[in-house]
Amino acid sequence: MTDEPVRREQIETILDAVRWAPTAGNRHLQRFVATTDPGTLRVLRMVSPGMIARPTAAIAVCVDHTLVAQYGFPPENHGPWIDVGTATATLLLAAQAVGLGAGPVSSFSKAAVGVVLDLPEGWVAELIVGLGHPAPEQPRAIKPARLTWRDLTHWVPTEG
Amino acid sequence: MSAPWVLDEDDALELLAYLVTAARTQVDEAAEYGPMRLLTAAHRLAEAIGPRATEATADALAGPLADMPLLAVPRGDREQYVEQLDGVCRSVAAHLKAKYAP
Repeated sequence: MTDEPVRREQIETILDAVRWAPTAGNRHLQRFVATTDPGTLRVLRMVSPGMIARPTAAIAVCVDHTLVAQYGFPPENHGPWIDVGTATATLLLAAQAVGLGAGPVSSFSKAAVGVVLDLPEGWVAELIVGLGHPAPEQPRAIKPARLTWRDLTHWVPTEG
Repeated sequence: MSAPWVLDEDDALELLAYLVTAARTQVDEAAEYGPMRLLTAAHRLAEAIGPRATEATADALAGPLADMPLLAVPRGDREQYVEQLDGVCRSVAAHLKAKYAP
């Protein structure tokens, strides 16, 4: 990503789109923390081993576990994390739509990120999406698997 | 006479934070990420010390280590991965030998 700043209105457009992502029971158990502050971004990257790029903005997708408990979800229920996925997919598409590159990161210390982002009690960051303007030259890609949809799909009944 | 510093406090802190948090994330992640995280740390260390290192060290850092893909993991072509990693180790060893035990 380049050093060009991400505009506040671009992030607001993305967050408005994410609001429409489907959530289980329309409960909206996700919360979002956005930043363009260079110091915060620098420290966020320091505690996020999976963050290879140097984004100029980031949105942390959090789960409000206080709300989760209030709704009576048992701790092992995967629903809130599935909603993190739908929110993130929407976020990535919205970022693309406003001309930004986006990189989701799950390899970070949740404990450290909670401190860095001053997360309220009960909020846990589950995914961080780094945002920025794509650099003209990109790092070498990992050898891609290039699976087709056919490789990933099983028809029932099985096709003849 | 002691060798000049090649890593300042900011760079050192950044690397320390990376190592500590990688230790934590690695508890929950695939084992194949382990070497990748260590190599990322090595890349970052090389990037930080390169500008202040001796010419010979800078040259060594720009060799096989720099060619090791940042996100490579020992999956699929494991033999090639190990071979490339051995190449990095040989290169580092050759530099150390030339510098400290010529």
